[in-house]
Amino acid sequence: MNNDTSHADDSHLLSRRNFLTAAAAASGAAVLGACGGGTGTASGGGSSHTGGGKTGKKATLEVWSWYTEDAPVWHYITSEFHDAYHNITVKPRTFGSLADYSPALESAVSGGSTPDIFAPATLALSYGESGIALDLKDAMGAHFLDGFFPSINKEYSANGKQYAIGWEAQMFGIFYNPDIMRQAGVDVPETWDDLISAAKTIKSKTGKVPVALNGNPSNNAADFFLPLITQASDDPNLVYQLDQQVGGKKWTDNYVVQAFEMLQRLQANHVFETGADAVTYDEALALFYTQKSAMLFFGSFIVPGLLTSAPKAFNKLYRVAPTPAWRPGGRHWGGNQAGAGWSVSAKSPNADAAVEFLKFIYEPARYALIMEKSSAMAATIAAAAKGKNPIVREMASWIKDNGCNHILFGVGSETAAGNAAAAVIGGKLTPQKAAAQIQTQVDQARHA
Amino acid sequence: MTATSVARPARGTRRERAAPGLPGGRVRSGTGRLRRERVGYWFILPTVAFFVVFLAYPLIRSFYISLHSWPGFGPEKWVGFRNFSAMFKDQVWRQSLVNTLIFTAATTVITTALAMVVAAVLKAGWRFGVVFRVAIFIPALLSLVVSGTLWGLIYEPSFGILDQFLRSVGLHELSTSWLSNSHTVLPSIIVVSIWQSVGFFMLIFYAGLQDIDPELYEAARIDGASVVSQFRHVTVPMLRTVTSIVVTLNLINGLKTFDVIYVMTGGGPDHASDSLTTYLYSLAFGGQVAGAIPLIGYATAIGVLVLVLAVIIVSAQLAISARRRVTA
Repeated sequence: MNNDTSHADDSHLLSRRNFLTAAAAASGAAVLGACGGGTGTASGGGSSHTGGGKTGKKATLEVWSWYTEDAPVWHYITSEFHDAYHNITVKPRTFGSLADYSPALESAVSGGSTPDIFAPATLALSYGESGIALDLKDAMGAHFLDGFFPSINKEYSANGKQYAIGWEAQMFGIFYNPDIMRQAGVDVPETWDDLISAAKTIKSKTGKVPVALNGNPSNNAADFFLPLITQASDDPNLVYQLDQQVGGKKWTDNYVVQAFEMLQRLQANHVFETGADAVTYDEALALFYTQKSAMLFFGSFIVPGLLTSAPKAFNKLYRVAPTPAWRPGGRHWGGNQAGAGWSVSAKSPNADAAVEFLKFIYEPARYALIMEKSSAMAATIAAAAKGKNPIVREMASWIKDNGCNHILFGVGSETAAGNAAAAVIGGKLTPQKAAAQIQTQVDQARHA
Repeated sequence: MTATSVARPARGTRRERAAPGLPGGRVRSGTGRLRRERVGYWFILPTVAFFVVFLAYPLIRSFYISLHSWPGFGPEKWVGFRNFSAMFKDQVWRQSLVNTLIFTAATTVITTALAMVVAAVLKAGWRFGVVFRVAIFIPALLSLVVSGTLWGLIYEPSFGILDQFLRSVGLHELSTSWLSNSHTVLPSIIVVSIWQSVGFFMLIFYAGLQDIDPELYEAARIDGASVVSQFRHVTVPMLRTVTSIVVTLNLINGLKTFDVIYVMTGGGPDHASDSLTTYLYSLAFGGQVAGAIPLIGYATAIGVLVLVLAVIIVSAQLAISARRRVTA
């Protein structure tokens, strides 16, 4: 199998003139679309908004996230929005990382000063069911959500309500260095067995690390491990059932043990670098772009990271292939969904203005442009298909047939699964014990 | 004369009412003293207000939260002391407690001993003493976050200089993934903490050494004491007060250590390097693991326990030091 794609250029850097020209076109398209009676994601009508529009009351919107790849675009989005809505000022605040962002958001929520619009991460459902996040299906209209990838709408929904909308979709795969693969004389692996075999050849012929993987923090280990459950079972609902502890499913399920056994096999065959369970995102990335590893397992959101970290020549060199399959001819299930999304504070006095702003940035042409400029994968099917970065566009095309759950929203699930996966990668837990440990920790968390 | 007029003291002149001990026979009336006291209260008010707002209230509020189950939003659910009893059934908490005690003991003993020896050696008058003193102190100028990041790269098994050095001198068997090996991760972090802090405590000891009377060393030399004996029988006893301060600071630093562990390992692998503070942080804020539901009540209970632990250990240490000073 060979999934070469021509590579992304570094045209993500934005000039004000280009953006404003394109944004004007986007606005025009949106106006025309609105005249035509509604088009997909941007046209959904809200249910009961009373203010915050062009003639409404004055409002200042606090918008919080950790989406650093969007940071350069915010200035243009906000000024353009302010031009259209003089009464609404948008104040975006981008934190450096999820680790920096989470304590700030939690403190703000605890202190009763939830930002008007915020990235909820995996607390979306908890915040929604506690009355902190607005039901966006009601506020924006169900039709508005039609154009999003179904997996993304599903992750943010519970009991017929949707508490967040996807911003950046993601799809995991194997990024590889064609030069090292050629030097070792190996092809991109079709199955995990192929990968184990290729790893031995890569190590013996080049001395390079076969696959760079980061298990610190441990949710990255879960990103690798959870799709293996779907691969073993060929059931895309199983991880969801385990996460929510429904359908009588428990983490001690045989397919979970099989997934851990595969992880253990990969670790025992030295597919990953030494100490992968302690390797951080930056270190794994550096292993790949300094050409010390032949491959890197990661999600599509690594593309903006490589554009800013790796040399230009390397950005033209690397390629991407789907996650290897469980068996020959099997589906290449890989982690999908959207870790990046938006919620609106249910208690915000500016909730109407916040909904208005979200509709504005999701207008199809504008949204596609923002995603293109940040080299991110759009959460709507139409915008993802239009993406100009070939790597991102290629990965987006896998979502429909191969996308599966890898972000857990159930109480205690993400931490427990991540810890167990990291422990197996580190050779510290057997598959059976790892599966049992997840269930024990989830039970403890649910009863805490 | 009415009863009232009898009870009222004669007003007298200013000089007659002068307080006996006041210089210059200045007069202080009852209302004057009260006024002065009131002024005093105004002076301490900012400190008291600061104490109440930033220490007393948070302490009381923390204890209140520790008695509840609360994710940081929604209503708090009263659970009494269940958060405290739950700790003893929590394997990760037990591991974190052991790690904290090991970290505290190791950093306190090694840092204190090393800092004292280095200060004594430098005081003895090395030719390049100033250069060494500066070199040893420089790490103390860096934040632990910076040090942790740097040492994380040094320990990195694929391109870190430590393993590359070991391999280049033929010691392949010693090269390991220092931060992902559950046996080496805590010692590796302890080394960084000592490297970082020894310079600061060396300076404190160095300042203490300036106060030791040189005649004591001279007398010891006349009595035939070796350099080691002088250190043991003159330097160490004379630095007892300074040592007590250094040990206390190290104990407190050890018990509340957070930054270096958080930056280097986040408490991993699999909690092998978690301290009580990194563990409570990961419970309260999900740490670096996305999606963990905050357990603010339980995390606060651990915080309260860290405070109690610190008070007990530091009080015991101060009591032991005081007793030694009395018996010396």
